[in-house]
Formats: sequence, structure tokens, C-alpha cells
Amino acid sequence: MFQRLSSLFFFALALLVPHSAFAKLEVVATTPDLGAIAREVGGPDVHVIAMALPTQDPHFVDAKPHLALALSKANLLVLTGAGLEVGWLPTLLTGSRNPDIQAGSPGYLDCSSLVALLEVPTVQVDRSQGDIHPQGNPHFSYDPRRVETLAVGLGKRLAELDPAHKPGYFARTKAFVDALNAARARWEARLSKARGQKIIAYHNSLVYLTDWLGLEVVEHIEPKPGIPPNPSHVAHVLEVAKASHVRAIVQQSFYPSGTSKLIADKAGATFLQFPGYPDFAAAQSYSQYMDDLVGKLAKALGI
Amino acid sequence: MIFNPKRVAAGALACAMLLVRSARAQTQPPTAPPPATVDATDTSPAHPPAPPPGTTPSDDSKDIAAALAADAASKPADSAKAADTASPPTAGGGVQSLNPDISLIADFAAAAFSNDDHLESGAHDPVKNGFNLQALELSFAAAVDPYLRFDSHITFDLHGLDVEEAYGTTLGLPFRLQARLGQFLNRFGRLNASHPHTWNFSDQPFALGRVFGAEGNKGLGVELSWLTPLPWYVELVGSTMMADGEDTSRSFLGAQDRTVRGPKDLQYLTAAKQFFPLSEDWSLAWGVSGAFGPNPSGPGNRSAIYGSDVYLKYRPITAESSTIVSLTSEWFYRRRQIPGDIVHDVSSYSELFWRFAQRWASAARYEYGSAPLFVNGARGSVDPLDPSWTASRQRVALALTHYPSEFSRFRLQVSRDMPAWRAASYAGFLTAELAIGAHGAHAF
Repeated sequence: MFQRLSSLFFFALALLVPHSAFAKLEVVATTPDLGAIAREVGGPDVHVIAMALPTQDPHFVDAKPHLALALSKANLLVLTGAGLEVGWLPTLLTGSRNPDIQAGSPGYLDCSSLVALLEVPTVQVDRSQGDIHPQGNPHFSYDPRRVETLAVGLGKRLAELDPAHKPGYFARTKAFVDALNAARARWEARLSKARGQKIIAYHNSLVYLTDWLGLEVVEHIEPKPGIPPNPSHVAHVLEVAKASHVRAIVQQSFYPSGTSKLIADKAGATFLQFPGYPDFAAAQSYSQYMDDLVGKLAKALGI
Repeated sequence: MIFNPKRVAAGALACAMLLVRSARAQTQPPTAPPPATVDATDTSPAHPPAPPPGTTPSDDSKDIAAALAADAASKPADSAKAADTASPPTAGGGVQSLNPDISLIADFAAAAFSNDDHLESGAHDPVKNGFNLQALELSFAAAVDPYLRFDSHITFDLHGLDVEEAYGTTLGLPFRLQARLGQFLNRFGRLNASHPHTWNFSDQPFALGRVFGAEGNKGLGVELSWLTPLPWYVELVGSTMMADGEDTSRSFLGAQDRTVRGPKDLQYLTAAKQFFPLSEDWSLAWGVSGAFGPNPSGPGNRSAIYGSDVYLKYRPITAESSTIVSLTSEWFYRRRQIPGDIVHDVSSYSELFWRFAQRWASAARYEYGSAPLFVNGARGSVDPLDPSWTASRQRVALALTHYPSEFSRFRLQVSRDMPAWRAASYAGFLTAELAIGAHGAHAF
């Protein structure tokens, strides 16, 4: 009995000692894109959890209590911001009881504060325009130029929180940015002919992608952000698709595909559905994800 | 004493986790301001400014149209580049203020009852034939300072207003503790602490009205909750609050205005809440609760309410789907000391919710309330709180809900009430809900 008890005691000690000496920084990212970037920049010094799945609409994530448990142990919360997670994150954040990651703390990194947002309203807005984001469009991680800025900000924040591993964070940030720039040149070359091509999007969530690649979104399947399509709007979109010779209808996999397929069929356009985020669970990196997306886009646009 | 290795291991693990957490806290720097700007030189990556995408070689960029398009497209690229350098990000450049988040939610109903003397028991239930204002809820919420946040919900009806809730919540107590203080809905079971706009039906299950009162169990008090360091989600809640209130604590002091002379004159709650993510698509929440306090039927008489709630939810998130199916079931067992006797009863509801399209959902509910049982009672004893409630009661309801957007809702609900002590009756509601202001954050 005593032997068993003492072995348990030493087991507990063993758990304690190396943990405090080589403890990893616990990072919780709201969406898998941020998770994938944090995993690359953080490397072996961090343990990253992504709250939403790549197949899940980030606006409507369930505030499952076990996510509050993950937040309670976090040293850093990385969120998209600009209202993307407003429907579910605040409840979890309060429930986490973790003062280190509350808004305004060093452990709270709102990525929308790192990048220049598009579509920041300059006039009075209200919800008659749909479920708009008054701080600007939050779907910025489809633009690798903004991801570069984001990674630099994230690397700096990790180094601040964990100064002992600062050189590692900086080296990995540099490596990430170098690789991203090289990949970006490749992607831009691959899609150079996409410039000026017309597409239709489901939700207003491709603005950064189209801004980067020079694609033109001529219409959205949703009449207004967050408002599902009605027959007259679908008829209108079909008319626009035919009239402006739209090449592809492009949307994330979590949006309904029925209407989009119908319009694509009738307008002779390609229907492209892609995962909204990197497959975090399968350890897909941001660049691998973008490789995949660029390849799919090129194919859908016939270039 | 019997030695239980599992228990020791669990205890050691709990201690280890607490210590690791405090060790981690010590390794962290004191509060440092977040970087206001992104300075690439600090991290010294090879960081060439992003070239405008327009400069990418293009095979057919000779004609004027393409050149114009490239010019147009290069403009926002400049703004991205600007963020790379030292200029402050334009993000959040909109209106910043220290105003709290404000929202207003209105619930209106058109109602028809087959029997005017119906048994609807909720304060926000439709109650009369014709048009009803169920509630107009004005909410304010904001962080008070780095240590506390403040939430308040004020409900208006046509005759006045009610402080539904107004409480402070701590954000940074150690050991994963959290305290609330003020006026709040007690976290007994699942539905009691929630607000009508999150419900699947337009009226309150009669169990809440019978056991706690029209408003549900709430009051002025303090609450302490603890998120345990176990590997799965276990939250323990304890609270104490005023035991009076005809519409909030009817099984306790109810309408009696008793001076608090000691701890025995207050109401107490204990609850344990667990959550199991069965898979990405399936979730299960299970809670047990107990509420205890004095009742006014005689000196030293007390009431106890025990409850258990289960919430099973299926929401496929691994593939494109708008389906949500959930099953909620809540049971209340109540035991009261009354002069010369002990009366006890059981009340429950179970509801099945199905969102079958992005904007459409249906729901079915079954409710059961037992007759009061008297431990020593002779035939003919009556419950002093509900003298007419002499037999069991059942009620069924069906609802069909349409959501034009996340911020509005229309619902058709029909129900059949079957109290065994009187004839069955029907009720039909057509309700509308409108929400404006700050986007609310939903609890699970």
C-alpha cells in the first residue's frame, strides 16, 4: 500500500516539475485559420486549440461549455474580432474565469486590430442592411498580405507572454513570413489571369480574397448578409450571372449549396465549394490550405 | 478509513493542476500594453512590403480595361501595405465609446383561450384573449473594470417595470472561482436562469410557475461557482438569496415579508453542472440542483426542491447542414413542511426541438405535474399554495417557429391543458419577437 501511495506521490511530482520547467504556452484560437498560424509561429513552445471547425460557420458556433474549460487554461486567446465571434465568445470568456485572457489583457489578441479592415462603414448603418459588421469585414485571413501582418503581431505577442522563448518565436515568425511571401508570389502567378474575372459569392466573406486577386464579385446569393435568398433574389442573381458571364459561384462549405448549384447550372458557371478554414485537426498549415484553395480557384475559373 | 487509490490520484491531479496553473501565472510578465502598431523590425523577418498585386505579370493586361481594373485593385493593396508599416491600423476606427452594450427585445402575442379561466402561470406568458405584450426587455452590459462585469435586464410591461436581473460578475478570482452579486435568476436547472427569448415555446412550463413562481426563482443575493479542475466540464454552484417573493420564491417565504434574523431566513441553492462533448455533432449537458429555505406555514417549517435536467443536442457541424435537434428534460421534486404534515410533489417537462430548415423550426412539449402527496395526510388534504391542484396535470404543446433573421421570430403555438381536476382546455398563440441593439451572446 505504502509503495503504491509513494509511487503516486512521485508521479504527481513528476507531473509537476517538468511541466513548470518546460511548460508550453496554452493558446486558444477561435477559428482554425488563426489556430494554424499560431501553431506555426508558436512551434514547440505552444499548445494550440481551435474552437470552431473548418466546416463550421464561424458566426454561429455553439458556446459549448467545454470550450470555456479550454479557455480557463489558456495563456493566450487569439480571435478574429470585428464582431465575428460576438454571438458565442463573450459567454465563454466570462465563464472561463481566466483574468489573463479577458479583453484588454495581454493574453487577449484581437487580430482585427492588427490588419487594415475592408468595408468599415463610413455612413450610418443598421440591420436593415442585414447582419453587418459595423467594425468592418472580419473575413481577412483569405488575404496572405494581411496574414503576414497578423503573423508578425502574433509572434510579438507570444514573445511578450513567453520571453524565455522569444528567439524561437521570432525565428519562426520570420520563417513563416518568408515562406508565405514565396508562396504568395507563386499563388499570384498562378492566378494572374483571374484578375478581372467575375464570380458570385454566397455571403460577403470573400472580399479579402477577391481584393487580393483582383476578382470581381458581381452579386451575392444572400440578398443581404445573414439573410437567406428568396426566389426573386435568386432570379435576379441568375440574370446577373448570365448577363455578366460569371465564371464561378464560390462559397465556403458551410453555406447551403442547393441554390448556388442551381444558379451555376443555369448560368453555365462552375460551382466551387471550399472548406472555410484549414483542416486544423489534420495539421494542415495555412500555406497548404491556400495552395489547395488557389488550385481549386484556378480550376473553377478555367485557368 | 478505506484507502481509495483512485481518489488519491484524482486529488493529486487536482493539486498538480492548481500548482501548475499558479506556476504559469508567475512566469507571466505583469500587464504589458498590447502593441499599438506592428513593427516588423522587431521580429526582423525578411519583410518586403507587399507589392501591389497589380504588378503581377499578366499575359493579357495590355488593354485599357485591364489596366483600369488593375489600378482599381491596387488601391486597397496600399492600405494593406500601410498596415505593414508603422501607421496605426484602421481597424476599429469606427465609433468607440464607453457606452455599455444596449439591446431591446420585445415579445408580442395574439392569444386565444378556450377557457378564460386558464392556468398559464408564467409572468411573461400570454394571458388573455386578444393581443398581449409578453415582455419588453431592456438590457445593458459592460465591463465595470478589469475585475468585474455588470449585466442588467429590465423588463417593462404595460403597468410598470421589473428588475429582471442586475448583477455583477467577477472576472479574475483565483482557483477558477466566480462570484455574482445583485439581483439574478438562480441557476437551478436549465430553463430557470434563461430568458424567454431563448425558449422554444412562448410560455413557461407550468413546473417553474408551480415550484418557483411566475417569474422563476430569482432574488437579491450572492453566488459562488467553481469550475473544477477535472478533465471534463464540471461546474459547482452555490448561492444564497432572499427567500421572499410571491412570483419568485412561492415555495419558500412567498408573499410573507419576514425580517432576516439569521442564515435560516435565507434561501440556498447548490447545483452541479456537467457537460460531455460526445462528438463534434452531439453534446450532452446534465445538471442536478437543490434549493432550500424557510416556508411561512409555521415557525421553523422548511421547503426543499431537488431537480435534475438533461439537454441532448445534435447539430451537425462537420458537414453543410442547418439541422438542430435537441431534447430537454427537467424534473423537479418538492418537499415542504406544513403544520402537522409534509407535502411533496413532482413536476416536469420534456421538449423536443427540431430546426428543419435554416429559418424554420418545430417543437413539441409534454408536461406533467403530480398531485400533492401528504405523508400523514387524511383524505381531503389540500396544498395550501395551490388549493385547487388536487390531482395530476398534463399539458402538451406544439410550436412552429419562423426566423426571418437572427433578430426576429414568429411563432405559432397550440396547447392542450389536461388538469385531472377540471375539464381540458386549449390555447393558441401567435407570437412575434423583435430584437434590436447589441448582438447578444448565447449560452449553450
